[in-house]
Amino acid sequence: MDRRTFVKASCIGSASLLMQGLDPMIRAESAPTAVPPIELCGLADYKPSPLGMPGLFPARVIEIREANAIVRNRVSQPIVGRMLERAMKELTGERSAREAWAKFIQPSDIVGIKINPSGAPACCSSPEIVREIISSVQSLGVPARNIVVYDRYSYEIDLASYQALLPAGIRIVGIQEAFASGGGYESNVYCDATFFGEWETRSYMASIVVQEVNKIINVPTMKDHSASGVTGALKNLAYGTFNNVARTHRAPYSFTNPLIGMMCTVEPLRSKSVLHIMDGMRQVWHGGPLTQVQDFIDQPGILLAATDPVAMDTIELEAIEKTRRERGAPSLWQHDANSITLNTEEFHRDASKNLFYRQPGHIAAAAHLGLGIADLKQIDHRVLSV
Amino acid sequence: MMRQTGNSKAVEDWPTLLKDNARSGGQTPQPARSPERAVWQFRAGGSVRSAPVLKDGDLYVISVAGALHAIDVVTGTAKWKFQAGGQVHSTPSLFADQILFGSDDGKVYAVNHDGTKRWEVPTGAEVWASPVIRDGVVFFGSADTKVYAVEASSGEIRWAHELGGRIYSTICATERQLYLGCGDGKVCCLDSSSGRVLWSTATGNGIDSSPAVVDDLVLIGSEDFFFYAISATTGEVRWKYETGLGIASSPAIWNDLTLFGSKDGFLYALETQTGKLRWKTRVGEVVTAPPMIGDGVVCIQAGGTFALDTSNGKILWRAGLAGAIQSVPVLAGETIYLASLSGEIYALR
Repeated sequence: MDRRTFVKASCIGSASLLMQGLDPMIRAESAPTAVPPIELCGLADYKPSPLGMPGLFPARVIEIREANAIVRNRVSQPIVGRMLERAMKELTGERSAREAWAKFIQPSDIVGIKINPSGAPACCSSPEIVREIISSVQSLGVPARNIVVYDRYSYEIDLASYQALLPAGIRIVGIQEAFASGGGYESNVYCDATFFGEWETRSYMASIVVQEVNKIINVPTMKDHSASGVTGALKNLAYGTFNNVARTHRAPYSFTNPLIGMMCTVEPLRSKSVLHIMDGMRQVWHGGPLTQVQDFIDQPGILLAATDPVAMDTIELEAIEKTRRERGAPSLWQHDANSITLNTEEFHRDASKNLFYRQPGHIAAAAHLGLGIADLKQIDHRVLSV
Repeated sequence: MMRQTGNSKAVEDWPTLLKDNARSGGQTPQPARSPERAVWQFRAGGSVRSAPVLKDGDLYVISVAGALHAIDVVTGTAKWKFQAGGQVHSTPSLFADQILFGSDDGKVYAVNHDGTKRWEVPTGAEVWASPVIRDGVVFFGSADTKVYAVEASSGEIRWAHELGGRIYSTICATERQLYLGCGDGKVCCLDSSSGRVLWSTATGNGIDSSPAVVDDLVLIGSEDFFFYAISATTGEVRWKYETGLGIASSPAIWNDLTLFGSKDGFLYALETQTGKLRWKTRVGEVVTAPPMIGDGVVCIQAGGTFALDTSNGKILWRAGLAGAIQSVPVLAGETIYLASLSGEIYALR
């Protein structure tokens, strides 16, 4: 098979056979000894695009800060519109926003906007930012019917009321209704691995990515993640595109490193993901990805733009680490058994506790796979305002 | 309102979501006692987001997958099933011998009580709002931004009027006016005979909530975190009340109180005339469903089912079943019917 890649990250010793289930809080009986072999099967004969990750501007991350962009938890659409325009011009070096967007989007494109509604309504991709992105894409001549806002779970999209808040004519798609429902995924594009002895060992790529859209604008949020360390551009694409991913966690262990990066290398996801716009209006520094506890959600009013998801997530990781230091919370890199709790309520009220040994190393692992730059010294990080 | 049709059969209007502003769903108020056991359980074969409705011993439930089930409430068995052409998020409405609902295929369906289709009417996008019926005319909004008026007997379109955004808000129809919220953030009042906009009032963000109309007040929540009371006559904002997050939940009215949930996780009870907070109670992390009023009890689904004392907000009981985020329990005599996101329908007693 020409395009099929077969990756053996390492050899597994003896993984414990555990109960089959989707609940990530099922606990592992013992520490997994190593990362198991992971088989990646991309779309056969797919021609990679030069726009694919790390894209046109590797290592470049534009950060626009504007405190007034979010006031009392309300996002200002006019201000985020200006922030987005500034970010796009700075990212591309173009003089106009239209020219900047035209680097990535053509009028004939079918554009997918990958939101992150996980954590809604407290922290999700702001409808105000999504509206500005839609407006920018439409200004290039892309008709509304060729713009699809999507994520995996319809009920999470519903919680954020995207359906009512986004412009008429565009499609809003939840790939699946709930955890257990099937359909919406491609049987020939997948990641296959046995992490904890689970019965279903494959995670399939969403059909909407494989068959419907030809460009993806990724709109992650700025959040800590109890398993992966942070959830940013990489995780929003990987775990938001493939199904059956909760199986990669068995408290307190997680294989988000290296799986997140590996999933992002699978075609056509890699080639179609041409632009990443991170919504940092809110920043979850503990309790992610689902917390609704406002004490752990700052409102810094940040917007990041990049084509390199690794560089973007590296900046995000630094930002959340900084906030945690300021709040006296342990580093995301800390692997102290005393900080692990089985009690989700304790986790949701105590920033020193966590459910998993976090895996922020998934970002550097993605860099090793060629998805971008994780070395801070090499990242062209420009902090601007409007 | 009762009226006589051509065949002299008494036909009751269904002028807003779940029939009336108490969100009664066709039932008289019930005491909503704490359930102790499941009488039966029915699998709808897919998630259920909308609210069940009850009439003449049949419970009508629609799964997101588009299957309308008529369930015998005594036995918990299906009498028949009707399959729509798309997914369904719309709570059904009842009119005469028809069940009406919208679908993601852009159609509103009218289904006879024997499970056969009477008519369907197409729109340009999905219909999540519930159709409402007044004086033989069906009114509904679509995500294609239009409000439609359709003959209930035939499905013939009387008029369609375009607004400024997607419509997910269920209309409240009074004798001559239609009230609804719009995705562009406006609360609108339309003339029901022509669709002409009589007034519109802007809020700070889009609207997913459905209004109630009481004593010349239009009561509705907005994604701008505020709950509004607006003059039904002029569109002037009489008062507004700020919650912690957006409001998708539609209000229910009980005596002098307006009850609704917010995405901040609280159920609120405001004095209808003044907007003064009477009580608020945290019932979950997020509340988007409308409340249902029983006899001195308000029930709401928010990751579980909660029953609260309407006078003081004290939680009387809670049931861990039925985590549907948008559904509404049905109270009938000693029985409570619940639909869940996982697609289970429970009859509890």
